[in-house]
Amino acid sequence: MNLQRFGAWGAILVGAVYFLVPLIGTLEFSLRMRRDGYSLDAYRSVFSDSQFHQTFGYSMLMALLTIVFGMLLVVPTAYWVRLRLPQMRQVVEFITLLPLVIPAIVIVFGYLRMYNSSSILPLTGSVTGTNILLVLSYITLSLPYMYRAVDTAMRAIDVRTLTEAAESLGAGWGTILFRCIFPNVMSGVLSGAFITLAIVMGEFTMAALLNRPAFGPYLQLVGANKAYEPSALAVIAFAITWLSMGLLNLATRFSKIAPARA
Amino acid sequence: MSFLTLQNIQKSFGPVQVVHNFDMAIEKGEFVSFLGPSGCGKTTILRMIAGFEKPSGGTLTIAGKDQRPLKPNQRNIGMVFQAYALFPNMTVHDNVAFGLKVAGKAKAEIDARVKEMLALIRLDHLADRFPYQMSGGQQQRVALARALAVKPQLLLLDEPLSALDAKIRVSLREEIRLIQQKLGITTVFVTHDQEEALSISDRIVVMNAGKADQIGTPFEIYNAPATRFVASFVGTLNIIEAKVVDPAANRVSIGNQDVTLKQPLTGFKAGDTVSLALRPEAGSLAQSAPGDTALTGKVVSAHFLGSVIRTRMDVGGVTISFDMFNSPGTTPPQAGDIVTLRFQAADLLLIRD
Repeated sequence: MNLQRFGAWGAILVGAVYFLVPLIGTLEFSLRMRRDGYSLDAYRSVFSDSQFHQTFGYSMLMALLTIVFGMLLVVPTAYWVRLRLPQMRQVVEFITLLPLVIPAIVIVFGYLRMYNSSSILPLTGSVTGTNILLVLSYITLSLPYMYRAVDTAMRAIDVRTLTEAAESLGAGWGTILFRCIFPNVMSGVLSGAFITLAIVMGEFTMAALLNRPAFGPYLQLVGANKAYEPSALAVIAFAITWLSMGLLNLATRFSKIAPARA
Repeated sequence: MSFLTLQNIQKSFGPVQVVHNFDMAIEKGEFVSFLGPSGCGKTTILRMIAGFEKPSGGTLTIAGKDQRPLKPNQRNIGMVFQAYALFPNMTVHDNVAFGLKVAGKAKAEIDARVKEMLALIRLDHLADRFPYQMSGGQQQRVALARALAVKPQLLLLDEPLSALDAKIRVSLREEIRLIQQKLGITTVFVTHDQEEALSISDRIVVMNAGKADQIGTPFEIYNAPATRFVASFVGTLNIIEAKVVDPAANRVSIGNQDVTLKQPLTGFKAGDTVSLALRPEAGSLAQSAPGDTALTGKVVSAHFLGSVIRTRMDVGGVTISFDMFNSPGTTPPQAGDIVTLRFQAADLLLIRD
């Protein structure tokens, strides 16, 4: 028993060292811009860079649009599959997993072939069109996480009976979806949203190949040209991810307090 | 004309037909229970009335209006589900108000109606609670109030008591019946619990393999089962195989002891085997009274069940169970005792399948 406990703590310690040492090293390096001691100069430099503000703001906006349109796609799909097409569940799950199997670079080259300026739908021919294409590609990338989060939340409620109860009370599809189903899968929607935020904020391939001023390509650009700022940016990126994870945890805890069963 | 009519209703799921040529007419204000085992088609009929399933054939009318082209949200039918189906994100007040809001009623009217409904189910003090803060019985009462709030023309209850514990089930079924009688609302109740159906219904439909085996009052269903299935499904029953001795005199032999039936043995000849039904509570070991029928046999076992003692006796190879009330002054029969079971000839029912 003691040996088992010792082994478990040992594994945790090794894991912690493996993950924390590089992080602490990065943090420490990001604070050593001044030769005479620790300072926040690297962070000051990053925050005073107008490109940081532009790319960060751009990626936040893209993340927000990805979350909104992604959820408008995923929630009704997961709902309909659970309600009317349960036999299609495995097929839909397989489709939503494809972005994990197909590399992002393959997907984006496919987009470029499909939507280039000489195609039927020339989305890359304009800035707005490319932005739309980027949002759609982000939705594709985050689909596995969004769909699973929402589907898991739907499993906790009796979708069919709630729908029938609402129908018997005179409700139409819009009312059922937005007043009876959506609020009860909010924890899943929030989980999916935070994971999507983390993915979009760090995504490089899609944004770089579509030539959009996103945060991911900015990270790469700074990394290639400066010494201390990339470390500061890495720490900031970690902080964003942790913030998302923290919010996800809060959302999960919120769902434990809120009623989950019909 | 009846309020709810189902004529020649059929329902198939792929190649499997689950409801066969079902006919039923329900009067306004009536409380009708559909009773039967799992898979007998009772819930399917209820769901067809609600509009959640489309009949494969037949007609379905409410107050003379064909319901088949109408969607569930156009039928004005209240429904209570086994799983309560309260909206978890809404308080009790909002749950009850839901249908009224959907119908676009004014706020003052909604509040008044919700108050009235919550008073009806005696939960007006819990209006601000969420479903997860309430017991199963309370949630089901809220579900009932929510279904009634919109003043439906028909109330459907889909095994609403099945998920509750025994005590709550009894009190809630009495409450449902009282509310139904108070409002005079036509109600269709689905259950597999015979006691529930017998205790609260005006009429019972006993369903078996997609067909109605018998439709009648609880008294008729219990005391005059039309088929072997009804006899065995409703209440505890002895099914006794007997030989016809003299069809003209209605005499049969049970384990070599002759008894005379009240029912005529029309269509049978001497030597035929007939099935007879005898309720365990119909017999007694008391002294003989004029007109009694008697069977003598050996006690196989006697089980003390509290208020009653269930005894099994062997009558020439035929086993018969009977119940006697527990009385501290009377010693229960013991295994091996020779006893005489007496009952009225009318209690021995001929089962024609």
